[in-house]
Amino acid sequence: MSAHQKYRYENDCKPDENRNKGASRWSHCRKRGADGSLRKSHAVEEPVKCSQSSRRPKSFTTPESEGPVSRVKNWGDEVEAEEMRSNVQRDMHRYRRRILEADFPQRDRKISSGSSDSRDSRDSKESSVKGDIETDEATLIRRQKQINYGKNTLAYDGYIKEVPKHMRQPGVHPKTPNKFKKYSRRSWDQQIKLWRVKLHAWDPPAEEGSDVQQIEVIDLGEIMDFELDVECSVDTESKCPTSSGVSLSLAEDSFTGTPKKVMKIEDTEMS
Amino acid sequence: MENSTKEEYKIQSFDLETQKLLKTALKDPGSVDLEKVSNVIVDQSLKDQIFSREAGRICYTIIQAEAKQTNGNVFRRNILNRLQQEFKAREETRKRSTQEWVCLVSFICNIFDYLKVNNIPMMALVHPVYDCLFRLAQSDALQNEEEVDCLVLQLHRIGDQLEKMNMQLMDELFNLLRDGFLLQEDLSSMGRLLLLEILEFRAGGWTLSETAQKYYYSEVTD
Repeated sequence: MSAHQKYRYENDCKPDENRNKGASRWSHCRKRGADGSLRKSHAVEEPVKCSQSSRRPKSFTTPESEGPVSRVKNWGDEVEAEEMRSNVQRDMHRYRRRILEADFPQRDRKISSGSSDSRDSRDSKESSVKGDIETDEATLIRRQKQINYGKNTLAYDGYIKEVPKHMRQPGVHPKTPNKFKKYSRRSWDQQIKLWRVKLHAWDPPAEEGSDVQQIEVIDLGEIMDFELDVECSVDTESKCPTSSGVSLSLAEDSFTGTPKKVMKIEDTEMS
Repeated sequence: MENSTKEEYKIQSFDLETQKLLKTALKDPGSVDLEKVSNVIVDQSLKDQIFSREAGRICYTIIQAEAKQTNGNVFRRNILNRLQQEFKAREETRKRSTQEWVCLVSFICNIFDYLKVNNIPMMALVHPVYDCLFRLAQSDALQNEEEVDCLVLQLHRIGDQLEKMNMQLMDELFNLLRDGFLLQEDLSSMGRLLLLEILEFRAGGWTLSETAQKYYYSEVTD
């Protein structure tokens, strides 16, 4: 690594320019580290398109992939991926600290406003005894993305405004799945689905009429109870926020299919 | 219009309507076309030397405001992608106008300085910034006082951060600068002085010793 490497990525940046011209302009620096073999490596590098990821020396980035990487990334995407990784690492440190604190409880435990999704004494017993928390970065990032989809909804906004964290009743109020716990892929995906469905109870009413919407949502809850044998009573009547005339637009992701599907079943079975 | 905002973000050079747009973006980003705002900022940065050195700050504020208000990062993404386009075209820009090229470098470095991700500089920008500085360290650029001036300014501002992100590249860059200083005959005397100062600056751990400070920055009384 050295001028050799640096030269490579510099040329990568100008894929459309006359390479010969580029070569002579850069020859000054090339010769510095030079043993002449740089010219050859330049030719070898030719097929590599201007790709940010290929330019990075190995010591530079973590080897874990950030998921599917297109060859030519734009800076916007790259920075978002960086941010995601950095957030997940930060969350993990916080979570680890919390587990330790739970092991050595202090009387005046503050309720942190951090973004870590859950914390209770069970976490500490289960995870610290087993020593098991999910640490695979790709998994954590994937899970965080799924959580973000759910949190980016109007329903979630409405929910957290209405029910402060310390007032949440387990079973009644949806709880964000804990991305640091060990779960199989299926188990995790199912938890996310259930969580998203529960959150729909706080969907802002559609423009057509809040009554109709409320009834549908209630039925949905009952269906879920019946079908999946899950202990959750979705008490929606008091929870739906007053109509703001806003029609809900769900996030465009795979989860929007779920509630509609269930509602259709309801139509055929119950009518 | 509050003058404090104007001065703080150095937006005096924009026309009044654009100033208004920027101020709204700072307070209520959800209500404006953020892509337009980012284009306005980038365009101006390429023209206005003062603004190019300070635009990072206004970008940072808008990004924070947007994150808080809508949890989005449309603005940041637009700025970065637009910046990337300009970066790709930098060699043409340099041919066309040294002033624009120098503004571009200032702007990229300013963004690197201000837009951090969880208080860490954006890794995606490290190599591009180094690319720009390496370009400025080429012999054709060193001849040109405007470019040397830009180079040393950036190194003063973000050199230590850049070095932390990649020590090896900084070493290579400084090898070029040292060689340029010692071997290149067509440097202006100001250019040479600027290079000497930056060489000492880095050697001193990104700060000037008192003696050096006196040497470079005191008035000579005769």
